[in-house]
Amino acid sequence: MVYTMKNRFNRRLPQAILSILLVLSTFFVSAQDIEGDVAKGKSIFNSKCAACHKLNKPSVGPALAGVTERRTREWLQKWIRNNIEFRASGDADAIAIFEEFKGSLMTPFPGLSDEDIDNVLAYTAAEPAVPKVETPDGIPVPEPDNTMVLLILGGILFFLVFLLTRVKNTLKAVKGDPTSSIAEDADRITRTALKNPKITTLLTILIAIVFLQQTYLGLMEIGLKQDYQPDQPIKFSHKLHAGENQIDCNYCHYGARKGKHSNIPSASVCMNCHMNVSEGPKYGETEIAKIYDAVGWDAEKAAYIEDYEVKPIKWIRIHNLPDLAYFNHSQHVTAGQVACQTCHGPVEEMEEVSQYSPLTMGWCINCHRETKVQVESNEYYPQMHEKLKEKFGDDAEITVEMIGGLECGKCHY
Amino acid sequence: MAETKKYWKGIEELQDSDLVKNLQENEFASEISNEEFLGDKESLDSSNTSRRDFLKYVGFSTAAATLAACETPVIQSIPYVVAPEEIIPGIANYYASSYFDGADYASILVKTREGRPIKIENNKMAGINGGANARIHASVLNLYDATRSRFPLVNGERKSWNKFDAAVTADLESAAASGKQIVLLTSTVISPSFKAIVAEYQAKYENFKHVSYDMFSYSGKLDAYEASTGKRAFPTYKLQNASAIVSFDADFLGDWIGQNVSGDYAVRRKPGKNMSRHIQFESNLSLTGSNADQRHKLKPSQVGMALVALHNEIASAKGATTLSNAKASAEIKAAAKDLIKAGKNGLVVSGHNSADIETLVIAINKLLGNDGNVVDYDTRTYLRQGNDKDMAQLITDMNGGKVGALLMDNINPVYRFANDGKFEAGMKKVACTLSFTEKSDETASKAKYICAKHNYLESWGDAMPADGHYSLQQPVISPLFNTRQTEDCLLNWLGKGESYNDYVAANWNNNILNGGSWNKTLHDGVFASTTSMVEEVITDVVEEISSTINLDMNMAAEKAAARLTKSKSSDFEVLFYQKAGMGASVLANNPWLLELPDPVTRLSWDNYVTMSAADAISMELMNRNLANGALNGSMVTLKANGQELNAPVLIQPGQAAGTIGLAIGYGREGAGKAADKVGVNAFTLMNGSHSAGITISKAEGEHEFASFQMAHTMMGRKIVNEVSLDTYLNKPAKSETGKGWNQPTVFETFKGPLGAEETNLWDDFDHETGHMWNMSIDLNLCNGCGACVISCHSENNVPVVGKEEIRKNRNMHWLRIDRYYSSDMTEEVAEAEGYEGIGIMPGSKGVTDMFAEMEKASGSPEVVFQPVMCQHCNHAPCETVCPVAATTHSSEGLNQMTYNRCIGTRYCANNCPYKVRRFNWFEYHNKPDRFGVNYAMNDDIGKMVLNPDVTVRTRGVMEKCSFCIQKIQLGKLDAKKKGQMIKDGQVQTACQTACDTGAITFGDVNDKDSAVFKLKSDDRMYHLLEDVGTQPSVFYQTKVRNRA
Repeated sequence: MVYTMKNRFNRRLPQAILSILLVLSTFFVSAQDIEGDVAKGKSIFNSKCAACHKLNKPSVGPALAGVTERRTREWLQKWIRNNIEFRASGDADAIAIFEEFKGSLMTPFPGLSDEDIDNVLAYTAAEPAVPKVETPDGIPVPEPDNTMVLLILGGILFFLVFLLTRVKNTLKAVKGDPTSSIAEDADRITRTALKNPKITTLLTILIAIVFLQQTYLGLMEIGLKQDYQPDQPIKFSHKLHAGENQIDCNYCHYGARKGKHSNIPSASVCMNCHMNVSEGPKYGETEIAKIYDAVGWDAEKAAYIEDYEVKPIKWIRIHNLPDLAYFNHSQHVTAGQVACQTCHGPVEEMEEVSQYSPLTMGWCINCHRETKVQVESNEYYPQMHEKLKEKFGDDAEITVEMIGGLECGKCHY
Repeated sequence: MAETKKYWKGIEELQDSDLVKNLQENEFASEISNEEFLGDKESLDSSNTSRRDFLKYVGFSTAAATLAACETPVIQSIPYVVAPEEIIPGIANYYASSYFDGADYASILVKTREGRPIKIENNKMAGINGGANARIHASVLNLYDATRSRFPLVNGERKSWNKFDAAVTADLESAAASGKQIVLLTSTVISPSFKAIVAEYQAKYENFKHVSYDMFSYSGKLDAYEASTGKRAFPTYKLQNASAIVSFDADFLGDWIGQNVSGDYAVRRKPGKNMSRHIQFESNLSLTGSNADQRHKLKPSQVGMALVALHNEIASAKGATTLSNAKASAEIKAAAKDLIKAGKNGLVVSGHNSADIETLVIAINKLLGNDGNVVDYDTRTYLRQGNDKDMAQLITDMNGGKVGALLMDNINPVYRFANDGKFEAGMKKVACTLSFTEKSDETASKAKYICAKHNYLESWGDAMPADGHYSLQQPVISPLFNTRQTEDCLLNWLGKGESYNDYVAANWNNNILNGGSWNKTLHDGVFASTTSMVEEVITDVVEEISSTINLDMNMAAEKAAARLTKSKSSDFEVLFYQKAGMGASVLANNPWLLELPDPVTRLSWDNYVTMSAADAISMELMNRNLANGALNGSMVTLKANGQELNAPVLIQPGQAAGTIGLAIGYGREGAGKAADKVGVNAFTLMNGSHSAGITISKAEGEHEFASFQMAHTMMGRKIVNEVSLDTYLNKPAKSETGKGWNQPTVFETFKGPLGAEETNLWDDFDHETGHMWNMSIDLNLCNGCGACVISCHSENNVPVVGKEEIRKNRNMHWLRIDRYYSSDMTEEVAEAEGYEGIGIMPGSKGVTDMFAEMEKASGSPEVVFQPVMCQHCNHAPCETVCPVAATTHSSEGLNQMTYNRCIGTRYCANNCPYKVRRFNWFEYHNKPDRFGVNYAMNDDIGKMVLNPDVTVRTRGVMEKCSFCIQKIQLGKLDAKKKGQMIKDGQVQTACQTACDTGAITFGDVNDKDSAVFKLKSDDRMYHLLEDVGTQPSVFYQTKVRNRA
């Protein structure tokens, strides 16, 4: 955690500077003949235009960076608002651009105001100056690092021991007794202590307890893969997708709501967006190109390659339950209304996913003991709930345990 | 006068005596004694490994091995690249389809998981044959048989499909040019689209012939219907209307003419005033005979005479013309009385392949006037169309060199005609022989072309099992191998580019659907039509066919009777039959089916001669149990129809004296690892007729059987509670005097008399909250067919253990169907015969003698079937003895078994009064050397059939019926996700879904509207071994027999 926070802090400093640059550049753009809010324009661009247009290279439609230099504001206003009418009016440029892109029909946007369009145009004009880095949403406060404090405390302690030894030796010297160094004292005390059977017994017991406890803990660790974070074939960032872009978990892992498995999305699901998004903020085109390689997408032609032999992506499975345990995602996600993060942790903050929970039976059981059942909101339960009230009292909160959630056969068959 | 002969151990000893002497002397290596070794200080000191070193090495290697074992493997998870829309991982899809293999037909649902078919379910929407039998339930496993033909072969060489097609079409053209016949030989074809293709071939080739042949032929029976109704087809039987059924050797609950009547039969088996009376005359003890109210033994040769007598009894009562020359026995008279009483609700059926017998049956049914009521001549079934005469003609033509090309689909004639070998000889004279096959079987291996075809789960298809009933078959998986379905090949050779899928769709849209929706039909799997396509096509013929019997039945019956009375009876007669697990051997290589015990004999992995005890004793034949309970039987040599066969003997109670039974379908070669060399090929002795005269002589040796059941009678205990219909209707189930027919156990306790439910040592579990799952098994509806057993195997990944393990009583069946024979000795008989005391004194008989005699099955037994699975006791004896709490009780009334917790003490199995717990003595999976016959668990392809929701159990753990807990959990989850209460019937166990008679009912008894709750308060309800006090969640409904 500390590590990631630091990391974020380090990365966000230049971002802050860049955002200042961005504001400055907006100022420059607004000095041209189109005035608009770049930030607003960007959000409109992303929601309405990005499916077919990219800034720096042609996609379904032409690249839009610097479009204001190629066309007049009025021309663009007309085209964007209703290009079909505009073409029907016989504008030669409009017909030419339509034909250049093989007659791909652009959706008319009659709902956009002049100001909206100006904002978008401002964004297209401004964007090239801005490197593709997300603007920071605030500089996080790093967690206090207490290593220094501990070091200082240790130093003070050592100094006190040293001081006390000096005092003792000085006093002894004054008294005329023979002095001794710290090492000699330590040696003597240890020898005396070890000769005392009570202390040796106590020590032996202590050592034995520590040893056994460590052995036990060590054995319990076998097969445990908490924090398991293997390298994946594609450097996919949940932080970017789920965190910053706010994509719902269920969009990709659609099986979680319906079935036993929370499926790893097929590459075809990735392509829903990545048909248009071919560059990522961190790795550029390299990682996304791996998806294209899997499904056979030609990014240049923006088309699927015919008769392509698809190459499945071999992800490394992180969460592995043994075969003897039956786990059903929909049971927890849909019936139990448990949030994904309860078991998987803050995935939206993970650059690379790791196993958050221990996935031991003790961990499962504990959750079943504590989790409340949605008896009120689900029509499955009323009769059972009446009986449970008789048993546990009217105000009792019904946990999974009370409806048999700890029985072996619930998970093992 | 002793001779000094010298015996040599081998030729080597004679030739080189020194060498042999040398070897003899060194046969056992001389050992160095410990003293000698340790006493030699020098060599000890010089040896490098000290004790310390040794311990170090051992310690290090142990630690290293342990550490290496701890390393967790990297597990990959590979998603689809392009996910199919309809597949959500972990959720099963069901597709409607049809199964027809030339003999068995059913409309089915196929359960698939992630694109793999894993289970067959009954299609409840089907109007006919919606209930699949045990074989069809098991057929999904054959899809994953790795020994299937994987690619086309020409003269044993692998060819591409293009080259294969070219070679075949060239051969067909040259056959056509030579003027010789081109013959398509198939088993019965019920597919309208296949028939359309055949018609196209007939149009293309002048000398094209299509011959149908059934492995277990009913051609003679069909002839009788052709003569009397004008159409070679059987009527449908409506057993739900039959109040009296008299059957002569017809095993209509097992294997008969294809129509599945067990569901309809069961409708009238529910006890009450409407309960039907079923009388069976037969020689073998069949599944149907076991279910009969009355069963009489009759030799096959006497069936004709008996029918004549029955006809006369009924005819004289009705004032109709009687036939000559027959004396009616008392049994026949009684049967006739029942039939006359039933009138148009009476039914006579026969299982013989004889036109004469069937003519008499038709005549009797006509006398009864059951047309349209029980026997429906308007709706005919087409599930048996084989024609023995055509087949005989074909064999003659083949041997006469008149056949240029022979294409065989779904048929194995070389195996079938093992009796005279003429077919095989004829095949050699045909230039182009081709077999469309899934297996390189007896026939295919001798054909020029092996056309590797799809499994039915990979194929398109359609079926018209009966008039107005249609069904579709759709592929549910991509082809596993480089195979092609028959119809696609035939279309291809016609020069059509069309796929069979399109062909079927076009055919249906044009001819069958009549404006109905193709997609809806594909979804439902079945389509019912009022107009039959076939009738439209051949309207002119239909005009002549009247649905009523237009022949002079009296004339025909008189002629048949005259022939039948002349038929001679032999000293010994054999009746060939089919087994529940094997049928006509189409699915032979199926370990589930091979291990499914025969419902009556309870033997698996075999066929054998069934013989009456009296005959066996007179021929000095015996069955004996070894010390471990395994059953061995004597061998006999059988001679019939000029052929000889050695087979083992099983002494079968209820077998008519002077008769034997022998099942067909065994003794295969080339069927696959599991089926090959199992049993003997009964076809060796069989001509067209199902019975034959036979001579039997004792042969050397003993045969080892795999028997599932050692005790055959109930020995006077209330295991199956049985009562006659009269008593059931007129006497109370429970009475104050304790003489009711379903009297519950009462214990005298310090609190006074208490029932088994109230007498407790322990505190009760709370079973009021939530669900309480119970199961009711109606012993009147269960006919013992075994479909539930296979369904359970398929659902719960039950392992197959093989013959050797079964002989050690290590079968793994979670659900067994116990079969009990009645004994001639009962407590009443003992009392009447004056048995007194304990009976150890010589000269007098007492209770020990009574029990000893009760162990012996009667020579004419009544038979009961009882499915037994884990009873899910609420005071379970197994739970209290488990030292590790691996078997525990759930709040929903289930007795749960936790495999990963089990350490294999087997205390639970020993403490279980029902003996339903099964111990994994071995790991039955991933052991191809030892359990390789079970490819469902030992082969990569075979494993695709396993249910991913159920653990495959490992060695050393106990397992048992779980009440299909995975299905209970799924049902509850579905309800919770939808936010509604569980509806009755929403959760069904695998055995329940497979049962087409409705014998098994499962549900929540806390739901007072549920069917199972009502059944629990039925008068017939009783718990198995109630007096043990286990309070089971499974209960049974008393068997009621409608005796005269």
